[in-house]
Amino acid sequence: MSNPPILLRGVGVQYDLHLSRKRSIRKTIYRATREKVENERKFWALRNINLTVEAGESVAVIGPNGAGKSTLLQTLAGIIPVTEGKIEVRGDIATLLHLGAGLEDELNAEDNVMLVGAFLGIPGATMRKKVNGILEFADLGKFARAEARTYSSGMRARLGFSIATSVEPDVLLLDEVLSTGDASFRDKSRDRIVSMMKKARAIVYVTHDLESAAEFCSRAIELRKGEIVAEGPAKRIIADYQKRMAANPAAYPVGKPGRRP
Amino acid sequence: MASRTHQLTVGRPPRGTFGTIVETLESVWGRRELIMRLTLTAIRRRGADSVLGHVWWILDPALQMLVYTVLVTFIRQRSQPDFPLFIFVALLPWKWFSSALGTASESIRKHDKVLRQIAFPQITLPIANVVESVFEFCVGLIPLFVLYIFYPGHLTAWVFALPLIIIVQLLVTIPFAIILSAINVFYRDIGNSLTHVLRLWFYLSPSLYSIETMRNMVKNHPPLDFVVSLNPFTWIFTGYRDVLFEGRAPDLVPLLALSVISILFTFVSIHIFRRMALSFVKVL
Repeated sequence: MSNPPILLRGVGVQYDLHLSRKRSIRKTIYRATREKVENERKFWALRNINLTVEAGESVAVIGPNGAGKSTLLQTLAGIIPVTEGKIEVRGDIATLLHLGAGLEDELNAEDNVMLVGAFLGIPGATMRKKVNGILEFADLGKFARAEARTYSSGMRARLGFSIATSVEPDVLLLDEVLSTGDASFRDKSRDRIVSMMKKARAIVYVTHDLESAAEFCSRAIELRKGEIVAEGPAKRIIADYQKRMAANPAAYPVGKPGRRP
Repeated sequence: MASRTHQLTVGRPPRGTFGTIVETLESVWGRRELIMRLTLTAIRRRGADSVLGHVWWILDPALQMLVYTVLVTFIRQRSQPDFPLFIFVALLPWKWFSSALGTASESIRKHDKVLRQIAFPQITLPIANVVESVFEFCVGLIPLFVLYIFYPGHLTAWVFALPLIIIVQLLVTIPFAIILSAINVFYRDIGNSLTHVLRLWFYLSPSLYSIETMRNMVKNHPPLDFVVSLNPFTWIFTGYRDVLFEGRAPDLVPLLALSVISILFTFVSIHIFRRMALSFVKVL
């Protein structure tokens, strides 16, 4: 039996709030003179996370805003380092987090595809073979030759999505992507993600869309204040979560996925 | 599926200071395609900023040279002979240095969206800006050779030693660019103060005056003389002047020492960058 694609043991991710946001030297000096409240500025976005995703499994991550769902995905992707604990992710990773990142205004669609491909570490020769397929899927029409600054937000999202889904990863990390773009594109993108999910060895899917989570995932974990509070078969965990949410909606704020500070 | 090996992608054990530096150098080489793409993008972006686009790469140093020539002709009685060429030889590399640091210091911050979505070696961002500034510098060499039409006596075979000085300056620029890009994520003041620090640095270097004039000014103050020797641009400017203006051999010993120190400083800067990079995404 080989190692599981994803293994987390006692993982914690700490944010140093006084490092966040704008800082100036003046503020730093000011704060240095009154350092006693050190602990109040530390904040655990994730704590004591134990999670194993075996080959062939798909895990939904649910929970209210600010529970640490996106941080968990970024940690799995290797974007945010863990503060404590052990993390192991094996194989090629694809992240579908916030789509359209890395697109440059002054480049046309093809050059943008090549640039994002380079960010992803895909060799140029491989990427060049994919360009036509990506552009076709993004359905940009004559805009494919124009610079990205002329694109509508929908076109940007479509191009971002097409690039991000052109890979065949071992580990697939999804964040609310099923709701990308307009209605017609949504159906198309849904099919594409489903086929990606079939090929991937392990999937972690963060969402507020509980129906799709129950449909696509075999297992679910519920995060609350950075810790796993429930874990088990997707249907049971989600049903239980929905029940509690209905009883006390105020405790489960749902909305657009929030970005950390 | 089973035949594929699934290597550890996230969670590789830390490799220590030396290992991290080696790993970073490997990642820069491994991602040279990304650096190339980022460089092309930066060039494209610079050109799209204005009506004249890339023509500014030639116009800007040429106009700057005119300003200094006018100023110096009015202020100083006995000015340096062939001043336009004399000053241009210092202006061009300085413009390279300051533009590299200016864009590199913003490079991490400007790419916050990509950094939040894709895991890639972030150090490629400031390095791409340095590479882009090399192109800018090379385009600026065109008006330099136009100037030689007016001052043909200064053009000697030593001009072929120019790449040597360029390499030394490149080695000096890289660590500054790496460190500034990282610090600027945490301290936004860097961007604001950089312009002024650079301007002061320019005037305190033998830019508007020759190294001999400068040594004369400080010869009664040994500590100042020492400070002049510590300034890397004392040697870089003098190097350019030697091969492009005076038509003589550059002083190799200080240039070689400068290169060695810069390479060591690059390792230090990589170490600092990697330490700070752990918090980039949390802060951006």
